[in-house]
Amino acid sequence: MTAKQLRPGDSAIISGFKSEIKSKARLLEMGLLPGTEIRIVKQAPFNGAVEVKVRDYYLSLRSVDTGNIIVKKIV
Amino acid sequence: MNPLSPLSKEWIVLAGNPNTGKTAIFNLLTGLHQKVSNYPGVTVERKLGTMNLTDEKSIHILDLPGSYSLTPESFDEHVVSDEIFSWIHGEETPNLILSVVDVENLSRNLYLTSQLLDLGIPVIVVLNMMDRVQEESLVLSPRQLKERLGAADVVPISAIDNQGIDTLKNSISTNLNFPAKPNDADIPFEITGILRSAIRPLFQYFTEKMKYTPRFAWAQALRITGRKNALKLLETATKHSGSSNGELIKELTQIHFNVLKSLNGDTPDLSTLEPQLRYRWLDGILMKKDEVQTKSLSRKSRSENVDRILTHKFMGPFIFIGLLYLIFQSVFSWAVYPMDWVNNVIVQFGNLVQGIMPEHIIRDLIVEGIIGGVGAVLVFMPQIIMLVFFMALMEDSGYMARIAFLLDRIMSKLGLHGRSVLPLMTGFACAIPGIMATRTIDSWKERLVTMLILPLMSCSARLPVYALMIGAFIPPINLLGIVDAQGFTLVIMYFLGTVTALFLSVIFSRWIKVKGHSTFIMEMPPYRIPLMRSVFRQVYLRVKQFVSDAGRIILIISVILWALASFPKTETDQNIQHSYAGKIGKVIEPVIRPLGFDWKIGISLLTSFAAREVMVSTLATIYNVESDDGNVVKLTDALRQDKDPETGKPVYTVLTGISIMVFFVFAAQCMATFAVVRRETNTWKWPLFMIFYMTSLAYIMSLIVYQGGQLLGIG
Repeated sequence: MTAKQLRPGDSAIISGFKSEIKSKARLLEMGLLPGTEIRIVKQAPFNGAVEVKVRDYYLSLRSVDTGNIIVKKIV
Repeated sequence: MNPLSPLSKEWIVLAGNPNTGKTAIFNLLTGLHQKVSNYPGVTVERKLGTMNLTDEKSIHILDLPGSYSLTPESFDEHVVSDEIFSWIHGEETPNLILSVVDVENLSRNLYLTSQLLDLGIPVIVVLNMMDRVQEESLVLSPRQLKERLGAADVVPISAIDNQGIDTLKNSISTNLNFPAKPNDADIPFEITGILRSAIRPLFQYFTEKMKYTPRFAWAQALRITGRKNALKLLETATKHSGSSNGELIKELTQIHFNVLKSLNGDTPDLSTLEPQLRYRWLDGILMKKDEVQTKSLSRKSRSENVDRILTHKFMGPFIFIGLLYLIFQSVFSWAVYPMDWVNNVIVQFGNLVQGIMPEHIIRDLIVEGIIGGVGAVLVFMPQIIMLVFFMALMEDSGYMARIAFLLDRIMSKLGLHGRSVLPLMTGFACAIPGIMATRTIDSWKERLVTMLILPLMSCSARLPVYALMIGAFIPPINLLGIVDAQGFTLVIMYFLGTVTALFLSVIFSRWIKVKGHSTFIMEMPPYRIPLMRSVFRQVYLRVKQFVSDAGRIILIISVILWALASFPKTETDQNIQHSYAGKIGKVIEPVIRPLGFDWKIGISLLTSFAAREVMVSTLATIYNVESDDGNVVKLTDALRQDKDPETGKPVYTVLTGISIMVFFVFAAQCMATFAVVRRETNTWKWPLFMIFYMTSLAYIMSLIVYQGGQLLGIG
C-alpha cells in the first residue's frame, strides 16, 4: 500500500518509492528512507496536504507525494 | 565574486537547516539583530556580520540561508551550494564552519552537518534549543558526539535564553588559534563492494584532477552518481573559478556516463545511495533503535496538540479568517488615534515654523513643500507599524507554516503553492520583501506566477491613498446599522486586489509554459513564543525604511513639485493652473478625464510612479501652494472643498474618490518592485509584462467604475 491510503493516526514503515517520483531525492534527504517509520498526523481540509511525523519532526506533503511512498502499515 | 575578498581577516560561516535558530545565533554573536524566523527559508539575503572575539580581535561571520542538503532543491539552497563550492574551487575559504542543529531533531539536522564535515574545514556543531531538553536526557554527551562525528567541537547553547554564547565564543577563539586538522583521509562511512569499485574512477578523477581530499572526493563521487544536478552544480562552480576547465568537465562527464552505465542493473536506485549511507552512519552514532523510534513517533509534541485546534479541518480555516479580520480591523480602526496625534504634531510644527521664519520663498519651500509633503505621508506610520507587527508575529510564531499547510490545496488549484501564502501576505506590507520571500517556492512556475500577481496585494504604500480618499469622500456612517462604511470601503479595496490576483494566477498559470515539477515538502516548525526583540526589530527596520524613503524620494519629489507648482510666479497671477505643474497636468488631463481625474490627480499619478505614497504628498504640496494663506491645510478638507472655478461645483465626488482608489489597487506604480522582479527573474520581460498588464487593468477598471457610476447617477 502507499502512504496515501493511511489514515490520520496510522503508523507505517516505508518500504520504498514508486519508480522515479520527482521529489524522491528530497524525501530521502529529509530522512524518509526505506525502513524509516512514519506516523500520519492529519490532513488539511478538502483533501489537502498531509502532515506526517518522521524521525523527530513534522513534515507536510502533498497527496501526490504520499501516493508514491510505498509503506507497510503497523497494526 | 566574494565581497570578503579584499579583507585579510579571518572569517567563519553559520550553516544549518531552516528553523534551527541560526539567525538568532548570528544576532547574538554579532550584536546586529536581524530577522529571526520560523518559516523555512526566510533568511535569503547574504548576511555578513562582524564579531568581537577579544578587545583587539574581530572576525567576520557569514550567515548562510537555511538549507537541508548540499544538493540544492530550492533557490535558497542553490545560494548555499554555490557559495560552498566557490570555497572549494576558489581562493577564499572560511577558517571555520558553525553548523547549527536543533537538538530536538538531531538525525535530520546532522545530515547537512555530515556533508559539511567532508569539506576539510573545521566544523563546530552548535546544539541549539537546549532550553527544550535536559542535558542529562541526551543519548550522547556533547563530548561523545564530538568524538563520533569528528567535529572540532560540539557546543550546547540556547539562543533564545542567551545561554552558552560565551562558551561558543571561546570555542571559536580556540579553534581559530589552534585549528584541528580535519580527518580527510577517508569518508567515515563504508562504501562497499560493487559500488566502491564502480565509482572509483570518479574518486580518482577528483583526487588527481581536482585535487580534492580523499574524503571529499568520495563524497562528490557518491553525490554525482546519485544526482544529476550535482554534476551541473560542479560545472558552475568550476566555471566561476575562472580556470579553463572545459576539457576537465568534458572528461568528468564521460567518466560519469561510464560509471552510471556500469552501475546500471546492479543498483537500480542510485538516488538513495548517499542519503542511505549517511543516515545509516548517523543513526549508528545516535544509537537509534527501532523501539526508541516508535516511542518518539507516537509521542505528541506540544505543537501537535496546539494544532489539534489551529489546523483543525473546520476550526483551522475559521481561525485563520478570524485572525485576518482582527488584524485588518485593528490596523484600520485602532490606528486612527495615533494617526491623529501625528497629524496634529505635523500641522502644529508647520504653523510654528511659519510663525518663526520671516516671509520669504525659503519659508514657503519649507512649510508648503517639505513639511506639507513629507508630513502627509508620515501620518500613516502607525498603520504600517501595526501591519508589520502582526506579520512578524505570525511568521516568528510558526503560524505562517500552518497557513501554508491549510491553504496548499486551494492555492495549488489556483496555480500557486502553499508557500505562496507567506509572500502574498507579506505583500500586504510591501511587495519587495514579498517577492524576495518567493524564493522558498521550489517550483519555478509557481514562483513566477506568485511574483506576477503579488503587487496586486494592496501594500502599505497604498494605505495612505485609500485612507485619504476614504477620509475625504466616504461618510462615517453605518451601513445597515452594523457595518462602518469607511472600514467597509477599505476592506473592499483589499478584497478587490486579492481576488483579482487569485483570478489572474489561474490564467497566468495556464498560459505560462514552464517545465518543472511542483512539490510541497515543508517542515512544520514547532510553535514558539516570538522573541519580542526580533519582532520589534523587524518593525523598526520596516519603519526606518519607510521614513528614509519619505525622507529621500518623497522629500525630493515634494521639493521639485513645489517648485513646479510655484513657478512661474508673478505678482498678479497666483493661479496654480498656470504653473509648470498645472501645464503638465493639463496635457495629460484628456487621457484620464474618462476616469474622472483632473489635472491635479494627473500630476499625482505621474509622481506616484516612483512610489505610491507620493500621491498624497503631491496633492498636499499642490494644495498647500494653492491655499497660500500660509497655514498647512488638512488635505481631506481641501479635496472636499475644492470647487471648479467656472461652475462652482465640487471638483471631486464620491465617485472620483472610488475611481482613484480602484486605479491605485491595480496600477503599476512602484519602480522598486519591478527592479526586484528584474533581479529575481533575470530578464526585463516579466517586469515589463507586469507594468503593461497592471496599467491596462487599472485604466479599464477605473473607467468601468467611473462611467458605470455616472450612468447609475452616483456622484
